Amino acid sequence: MAPDRDYDALVADLAALGRELPSQRESATRVSVAVMARISDSEPVTASRPRLLGRTAQVVARRRRVVVVVTAVVLAALGTPPVRAAVADWFSFAGVGVRLGSTPSPSVGSPPPTVAAGLSLEAARRLVAFEPLVPTTLGAPEGVAVSSDRRLLSMSWTDTRYGLVRLDEFEGRLDYVFAKTAPDVEFTSVNGSFALWFDRPHEVVVLDADGTRRTETARLAGHTLIWEHGESTLRIEGDLTLAQARQVAGSAATIP
Amino acid sequence: MEGDGSPISCSDDLAVLARVRAGDRDAYAELVRRYAPVALRTAALLGAGPDAEDVVQEAFVKAYSALGRFREGAAFRPWLLQIVTNETRNLHRSSGRRAAREKSAWERTEPLLRMAEEEDPAAAVLSGERRTQLVRGLSRLSEVHRQVVVCRYLLDLDEADTATVLALPRGTVKSRLHRALRELSSELARLDSVSGSGHEAGKREVGRGT
Repeated sequence: MAPDRDYDALVADLAALGRELPSQRESATRVSVAVMARISDSEPVTASRPRLLGRTAQVVARRRRVVVVVTAVVLAALGTPPVRAAVADWFSFAGVGVRLGSTPSPSVGSPPPTVAAGLSLEAARRLVAFEPLVPTTLGAPEGVAVSSDRRLLSMSWTDTRYGLVRLDEFEGRLDYVFAKTAPDVEFTSVNGSFALWFDRPHEVVVLDADGTRRTETARLAGHTLIWEHGESTLRIEGDLTLAQARQVAGSAATIP
Repeated sequence: MEGDGSPISCSDDLAVLARVRAGDRDAYAELVRRYAPVALRTAALLGAGPDAEDVVQEAFVKAYSALGRFREGAAFRPWLLQIVTNETRNLHRSSGRRAAREKSAWERTEPLLRMAEEEDPAAAVLSGERRTQLVRGLSRLSEVHRQVVVCRYLLDLDEADTATVLALPRGTVKSRLHRALRELSSELARLDSVSGSGHEAGKREVGRGT
């Protein structure tokens, strides 16, 4: 007697029950980020495994030293239920918080703001607590700036072969937590280190040392690659493809 | 369901695994993304509940560090899901006696099965009533029977993979499946007669005279 034939209807219903389980897309992305971050670090970042289920409050509390927050805006096509998106879901990669956004977004991000000229790289280096890196393929930056709290170093090149390119650097290892993610983040690597690629426009907010928003308004960023280099987290933005961004990122070196 | 909806050939996995073994860590990301959804469902259905993400994260990291021991040419998915299953069991190890462990595992799974209908009512194949009955029927099964049903039907693994995932001999899977379906079927018939309803799925069962 073949059991499967006797219970066809039951088996079909059980399969339907399995298929109708809530979608795990966001969970899957969070897990992927956490796994790749763990295995791409030869030296452990945290003694214990990062907890994924950190509540927003915990994350915010630990966010004191986070500098750049990237809000990946989920387009309506992704069908994130508004209720769920309203719950601030964060994950953080090397000091970069990423969360699901529910605000409607245009399909094209704005070019990154240029960094005003005036500061030399050498002067900037003395101001920040980390060793600045400059992508050699881009040459010397035209604009160099350090934030008033000396945690964020920014550079820009206005006329590269990719057009305007902006680079932000900060010490990301200080705050390394995992929370939540956006579904449209791509995992990649730069010189063997784990990296995140944002192909779609996403909202960028710079946070203050105490985790509150800075006064400057959020803006929509275009293609962005975020990667780690030693203690630093770097974030490059411009009209680049992933391959180009990885190439530029891979050329980053300390100032001679 | 996305993630593992498209058929993925085993040979593709093997090519990716070969790249991982050759030192290409990024290649592992492909496997993680490919199997994270099914791994999460496995963990959740076997009782990981809200810890499913942690369980799966741990399983993928363990699988990565154990790749050296992974038999070349073997299928990655059942092997990974076996690790997920073990990690899920470890969660309940502190729950004391076996009965308590099994109870706590099912208590974490049941709400998930009940929740499914709210996800997208328009696309639901099962009526709310049928779902409730199925979940009730499942909760009457013993843990060992429920696990084979979950793996074989809810996760849609074949018999061989079910055996691997649950670390059981194939014959045991077969006999447990048979018994589980028989019990489930009679339990559902009983529930159906109690409720006296004539909804579609119920009719189908009754009409078949099972």
